[in-house]
Amino acid sequence: MIEILVYGAVISAIYAMLAVGFTLIFGVARILNLAHGAFYALGAYTVYALTANLHVPLLVAAAIAVVGVGLFGVAVERVLVRPLRRSQLAVLMITLSVGLMVEQVLLLTFGSEARNVPSMVEGAYEILGADISAQRLLALAASIVILAGLWLFMQHTRLGSAILAISQDAEAARYMGIPSDRIYSIVMGISAGIAAAAGVLVAPFQTVIPSMGLLPLVKAFSIVIVGGLGSIPGSILGALLLGYTETLIAFEVSIEWSQIVSVAAVLLTLVLRPAGLLGKRAAF
Amino acid sequence: MPLLEIEGLVVHYGKAIALEGVTLTVEPGELVGVLGPNGAGKTTLLKAVSRVVPASGRLSFKNRDLGPMPAHKVVGEGICHCPEGRRLFPELTVLKNLMLGAYLRDDKDGIAADLERVYGLFPVLRERRTQQASTLSGGEQQMVAIGRALMGRPSLLLLDEPSVGIAHRLKNEIFRAIRDIRDSGTAILLVEQDARSAMAVADRIYVLEHGRVTHEGTPASLADDDSIRQAYLGV
Repeated sequence: MIEILVYGAVISAIYAMLAVGFTLIFGVARILNLAHGAFYALGAYTVYALTANLHVPLLVAAAIAVVGVGLFGVAVERVLVRPLRRSQLAVLMITLSVGLMVEQVLLLTFGSEARNVPSMVEGAYEILGADISAQRLLALAASIVILAGLWLFMQHTRLGSAILAISQDAEAARYMGIPSDRIYSIVMGISAGIAAAAGVLVAPFQTVIPSMGLLPLVKAFSIVIVGGLGSIPGSILGALLLGYTETLIAFEVSIEWSQIVSVAAVLLTLVLRPAGLLGKRAAF
Repeated sequence: MPLLEIEGLVVHYGKAIALEGVTLTVEPGELVGVLGPNGAGKTTLLKAVSRVVPASGRLSFKNRDLGPMPAHKVVGEGICHCPEGRRLFPELTVLKNLMLGAYLRDDKDGIAADLERVYGLFPVLRERRTQQASTLSGGEQQMVAIGRALMGRPSLLLLDEPSVGIAHRLKNEIFRAIRDIRDSGTAILLVEQDARSAMAVADRIYVLEHGRVTHEGTPASLADDDSIRQAYLGV
């Protein structure tokens, strides 16, 4: 019981980090970013490469991974997405290509076998009789801190207001003198950086392989459809729903069956409430 | 020297032509009204000045060419646009909407002074400052929209149809505020369907029909013109 509660919280928190970034860049710049899973995988591999090959301290490697992938996200937006933004389909194709390319580069560089990333914190804690590894608790705490930080940034800074303004009325934002192109790059960087942070946090207890970004991309996409595309509270709610349902099924039925939850949730949402739980309008 | 000089302004939407060589000036501190029927190109004219729609022809402000500037640079030059339909940020508070109008400014004291000025013009906004913009009435939303544009401390304010969909009492209040804004030295280019209200406040009027200026003059001289009286004043 306690295991379900804590494991569910950890997986929900990681899902929330992925989904919030995914929904943010869509809500602001209308970019449906299929390279989002690649940012997550890049985060994990950057930490692996820096610690295993170059013996960089783990925390420094984690910081480099988050910032580096964030900058990579900015470059992808600036160089590849911006010239194509007029067409949703072209954006979809170019971000899919980026995702596939990253996966291939990881495969060629590191091979297909699973890599091990050391835990940032060792040991385990006993919580009401259940053993929970310290790394999972760290992942939970760090994602709460990151999401709370994002919320404070959006609510209390001028840049945060500008991001919200563009997502609510892009034309009106131009009348305010808000330079939308620059904001799109920044948001892509934030979104990529948060995805990388999720990858860094789970790398010690997840399988680090080149295709590790695919499932999180599917999950993030499912969550934002359930929660409402473009809605940040919706994606956090969706992450909790999906995270806990999957954990419950994994414990009570089997891990295999837990993977069907996201697909079923998407189907149900699209049929019953196409706008998602907290969305304003149908996105498709 | 005029503040805003527009000469031979042409705007196309695809194959359709919206403005066919419009020439117009606004002097510093002047309130210029643009009248005309629906679809005459009034909104397009303001959007062309804000560089939100591409236009050809001469467009200069304080003797600087606006032509090559992107929309967000125009705001920095001192042109603030209060758009048609208000276009507030619906899920943000009234105060955040107003502060976004000052997005490009860094002078904290000046921003605070301008916020007081907006609350002075529209006292109800001070009470409503923590409310979501979407919960306000149409008239109050229009006040926020005008206030938000003023927060950029414009030397030219572009006002697009401020009286549409607003209760009569609030309309009077808004036109009184427009007059106050002009009296404090801000030039205004006002697009309006309600010809009577516009002629009551404007220093000069242009009439725009089918993308061209057909008449221009003081409100008094236009009120003497029979065709204008019939078409716009209904008498």
